[in-house]
Amino acid sequence: MSVLRIENLTRRFGGLVALSGVNLELRENEILGLIGPNGAGKTTLLNVISGIYLPNSGRIIFDGKDVTESPAHIRCRLGIGRTFQIIQPNQNLNVLENVMVGSLFGQGAGLKEARRKAQEICQFLGLSRIERDITRLTVLEIKKMEMAHALATQPKVLLLDEIMTGLNIDEAREVIELVRKIRDQGMTICVIEHMMRIIKELTDRVLVLDRGEVIAEGLYEEVSNDPRVISAYLGEEE
Amino acid sequence: MRNWRYIVYIVVISLAISFPFYAGVHPIHVATTILSLLALALSWDILLRGGQLSLGVSAFFGIGSYTTVLTHLNWEVSPLLSIVLGGLAAGVVALVIGLAVLRLRGLYFAIVTLALTFIFIVIVRNLTDLTGGAIGKLIPSVIFGGDPAMIYWLTLAIAVATIITSEIFQKTRIHFALTSIRNNEIAAKSSGIDIFKYLLFAFVVTAVIQGVVGGVHAQRFAFVSPEESFSLTFTILPLAMCLLGGSFSTLGSVIGAGGLGVLAEYLRLMMPRGHLAIYGLVMVMAILLMPKGIVGTIREQLVRRKTASS
Repeated sequence: MSVLRIENLTRRFGGLVALSGVNLELRENEILGLIGPNGAGKTTLLNVISGIYLPNSGRIIFDGKDVTESPAHIRCRLGIGRTFQIIQPNQNLNVLENVMVGSLFGQGAGLKEARRKAQEICQFLGLSRIERDITRLTVLEIKKMEMAHALATQPKVLLLDEIMTGLNIDEAREVIELVRKIRDQGMTICVIEHMMRIIKELTDRVLVLDRGEVIAEGLYEEVSNDPRVISAYLGEEE
Repeated sequence: MRNWRYIVYIVVISLAISFPFYAGVHPIHVATTILSLLALALSWDILLRGGQLSLGVSAFFGIGSYTTVLTHLNWEVSPLLSIVLGGLAAGVVALVIGLAVLRLRGLYFAIVTLALTFIFIVIVRNLTDLTGGAIGKLIPSVIFGGDPAMIYWLTLAIAVATIITSEIFQKTRIHFALTSIRNNEIAAKSSGIDIFKYLLFAFVVTAVIQGVVGGVHAQRFAFVSPEESFSLTFTILPLAMCLLGGSFSTLGSVIGAGGLGVLAEYLRLMMPRGHLAIYGLVMVMAILLMPKGIVGTIREQLVRRKTASS
């Protein structure tokens, strides 16, 4: 069963083709890894899925519905949640309030209910002292808050854009465990990640993008031995 | 702590309500002007909380003024009702214009809202039959027969209503929406926030306030004219008051309006000719020394002290 299906998606920025004829299927309850060299179009793909950009052509089917033209806030409410590569916490709100924004608008909860749900999610992710100002959070705490914020919108599909970047090994391990825990709650997850060890450990399936095109798809072992993937990362031999 | 706050509220409100009983006519007039500028400053701040810097306060103020005077003259509606109509007219115009200009951001939004004022000046100047053209229109009698106390109370009621509106904006989900939009629009829409809806709502609500204040102003001075009713003073003074007092809070605009209002009047009495230069200097110094305004700076100091002691 696919939760999200992308058909023949193309997105151009002026003369630059950021995504070209991308097909992708997210299967229910899987963790899909999205990899590729810098500039391959990974974040653009996430942005098109979450509605930040509209595609030039192609279709996005989410949960049986065509959402190709839906604006970002509608997609969020339908169940596409995400985090950002460059984190965007709201300095004017404390940790709990930042998470509450997700449940307030993603699910349309009232203030009281949103607060309760946000507290639950923070606890689930091991975020403590949540009435704090966010200026003194550690990187790990900020990442957790970003995840909590996305989870608070009650997504069916969670898109995580380089959530491990800036974490040390132990912290990354903790986040890997959390992502698994989130999946066990029934969510489908798509992660962009640069560290192959994490991709290997975390994901069920991998999709490789290079210069806007899908060049390989499959299990980590298959993909990592694919000559096209190796040349995309290391360059062609002269 | 909480009780103290209510005691302060009650004392301030009683002092404000009883002001005409112990103050002379001139202070009452000054206080009325300060209260109307306070409402404008606060309304400007409410939209700023969503990250949108509007320079169109004068436009909605003027629309309110003109609607009030024209409905009062032509349809013979009561002064109070004409003021309400002034607010509604400003709201409707904001709704229509907002659909277009709220697609703009930053400087572009600021410039286009500034241009609105000039557009309306041109319009009212040329619709001579309806608006009296460049001369404007006079009302035969001032509202409440010119009783300064009554006009003061009316303005106080509007200022208090604006303060309550501002607090509602601060205490409900609207606060979360606007502050998220201000922080980062892409993150905001990815959290399910309908940015356009919230900004349009804030734009219309604040325009209604500005229109009502303009309506009271027109009834108080019993006339409208393009240059007076759409004067940029009604944009710039509130903006300065809000920035001086501290943006993104109710208290900031209240303190800014009070402080700057009293200072302006004092300077005007002390030096009728050069007061604007001193006034400008105070504003420049204040913004340089306290970029977050009085309330923002005090709050920052309190937080610093708290974190230092813990």
